Amino acid sequence: MIEILGERTIACIEGFGRFGRFSGESFRAMIHTFFHPRSYPLVLNQMNVIGVKSVPVVMATGAFVGMILAIQAYGQLASMGLEERLGVLINIAVVKELGPVLAAVMLAGRVGGALTAELGTMNVTEQIAAVQSFGVSPIRYLVAPRVLACLLLTPLLIIYADLLGILGGFFVSVKQLGINPGAYWNYSAMGVELWDVSTGALKGFFFGGAIALISCYKGFTCREGARGVGEACTEAFVGCFISILALNYVFAVVLSAVYKTFWPLRPLI
Amino acid sequence: MSQKQIQPEDGILVVRDLIKRYGQKLVLDNVSMAIEEGKTTVIIGPSGCGKTVFMKHLIVLERPDSGEVYYRGRRIDRLSERELVPIRRKFGFCFQMGALFDSITVYENIIFPLRQHYKITDWKAVDEMVKQKLALVGMDGYQHYYPANLSGGQRKRVALARAIALNPEIILYDEPTTGLDPITSDVINELILKLQRELKVTSVVVTHDMRSAYKIADRIVMLHHGRIVADGDAEHIRTHPNAIVQQFIQGKVSEAELEALRLGGTKFPTQFMPEDFE
Ligand SMILES: Nc1ncnc2c1ncn2[C@@H]1O[C@H](COP(=O)(O)OP(=O)(O)OP(=O)(O)O)[C@@H](O)[C@H]1O
Ligand SMILES: [Mg+2]
Repeated sequence: MIEILGERTIACIEGFGRFGRFSGESFRAMIHTFFHPRSYPLVLNQMNVIGVKSVPVVMATGAFVGMILAIQAYGQLASMGLEERLGVLINIAVVKELGPVLAAVMLAGRVGGALTAELGTMNVTEQIAAVQSFGVSPIRYLVAPRVLACLLLTPLLIIYADLLGILGGFFVSVKQLGINPGAYWNYSAMGVELWDVSTGALKGFFFGGAIALISCYKGFTCREGARGVGEACTEAFVGCFISILALNYVFAVVLSAVYKTFWPLRPLI
Repeated sequence: MSQKQIQPEDGILVVRDLIKRYGQKLVLDNVSMAIEEGKTTVIIGPSGCGKTVFMKHLIVLERPDSGEVYYRGRRIDRLSERELVPIRRKFGFCFQMGALFDSITVYENIIFPLRQHYKITDWKAVDEMVKQKLALVGMDGYQHYYPANLSGGQRKRVALARAIALNPEIILYDEPTTGLDPITSDVINELILKLQRELKVTSVVVTHDMRSAYKIADRIVMLHHGRIVADGDAEHIRTHPNAIVQQFIQGKVSEAELEALRLGGTKFPTQFMPEDFE
C-alpha cells in the first residue's frame, strides 16, 4: 500500500521534472525563434490557426457572460435601488476574472485539444522522429511556434472577450432591463481602471503559455495508438483547466497584494 | 563467439555490444557490427526480431541500455540532441511507415531538410531538384498531393525521395520495397545500387524480400531474437548451415508453427459473419 503510494509519488515528481525540462527547452527554442526571422512564417501560420480562428468562439463566450451577469445581478441591485450601478459589477467581473478565465478555458478546449491531438498523432506515426532524423529539433520546429503563438495571442483574445462581455452586459442592461445608459457608463467608468484591464490581459500571457506547453508536452509523450492520443487529449485538457484555475488564484493573491501597496482600497458600490 | 573485439575504427558506423530492453523484453541482445563505408549492408530477419529498433540506434533515435555506437570512430550514443545535429545531417532515414509530414504537400516534404538547414534563394533550382528526386522513384507529378491522398506504396516512395534529398552519405532504408509491386520494387533496388555506385553512399537496408537482398547486398546480416545468427555475403547466406537461416531464406514454415495452426484452426467456435454486426 505504502509502496504503491511511494511509487505514484515518485512517478508524479518525475513527470513534473520532465515537464520542467520540456518547458525549459521550449523557452530556449522560443528565444532562438524570436531572433531568427526565417522561422517567423511558422509562427504566423500557428497564429492564424490558433488565434484568428478562435476569435468567434471567444467573443461569443464573452458576450454571453456579460449578458447573464446582467440578468442575475439586476434583481439584487434593484431591490436596494442600486440598479444603475449594474455596470460596475458586470464590467469588473468580466474584465478581472470571467473574461480571462473563460476565454482561456475556451482556448484550452479548442486549441489545447487540437494541439495535443496533432502532435500526438505525429508522435505515433513517427513524424516527430522523422523531424529529428533530419537533424532538426522537434521542440524548435513544432513546439516553439505553437507556444509563441499562444503566448502572444491569448491576451488579445482576452481583450476581445472583455469587449464583447462589456457590450453584452450593456445591451441587456439598457435594452432589456431599461437602465439609463448614461448612468450605466458613468458608474462603469468610475469602477473599472486600466489596472484591471491590463492585469486581466497579462494573465492571458501566462494562461496561453500554460495551455500551449501542457498540450504540446502531452502530445509529445502520448502513448501508441488511437487510444493513446485520445487519453493524451483528455489529460491535456484537464491539466490546462486545473492550471488555469490555479494560476488565476496565484494571480489574485499576488495582484491584490501589489495593488494594496500602491493604492488604497477602492469601494465599488 | 570468440571473435576478436570490433574496434570503433572498423567501419563508418560501428555498433558494439548493443543491448536494448523495452520493459522486460530484451529486444537487442549484444549486437556488434561494423558497417563498411561505401557498401550496402542488408539486414534480414523475421518480423519483430528487432531490425527497426537496431536501425534507429544507428542514428540515435533510440538510445542503448548498454553498448556503444560510433560514427567515423566517434562515439555518438551519448551525445545530446544538439550535438547530434551535424551528424544526423549526414544521414537519410527512410522510415518503415514512411512518416511523411501529413499536413504539408509532397513537395514541401521533400524540401523539408533543405529548408531547415539552408536559406533557399534559388527556387528554380529547388523545383528542379524535387522533380529529379521524385522522378528517381517514379513519383514526378505528385508534387502538390498531400500524403493522405497517396497509396501506401506511393507514400513509401516519396519517403525514399525525401531521405535522399540532401544527398546524404549514409542512407538507412527500413523495408523500402515492402508493399510495392515487383516492378516498382526492382526500380527501388536499382536506385539503391545506382546511389551506391555513383555517389558512393553507404546503405543499410532492412528487408524481408530475399530477391532484393541478394540483388543489392554486399553483405547480409540475419537477426533472430535480437542476436546476429548469420553474417556474410549472399553466397555465404545461401549456403549457411544454420536451420533457422535456411528456413527464413526459403520462406518455409517450421513444423512447430504448422502444429500451432492445426490446433488453432479447430478451436474457433464459430465463424463471425457480417450479420453479427447488424
Ligand atoms: N517503443 C517500443 N516499446 C515497446 N516495445 C517495442 C517498442 N519498439 C519496438 N518494440 C518491440 O521490439 C521488438 C522488435 O521490434 P522491431 O520494430 O524492431 O521489429 P522488426 O524486426 O522491425 O519487425 P518488422 O519486420 O515487423 O518491422 C518487437 O517485439 C516490439 O514489440
Ligand atoms: Mg520494422
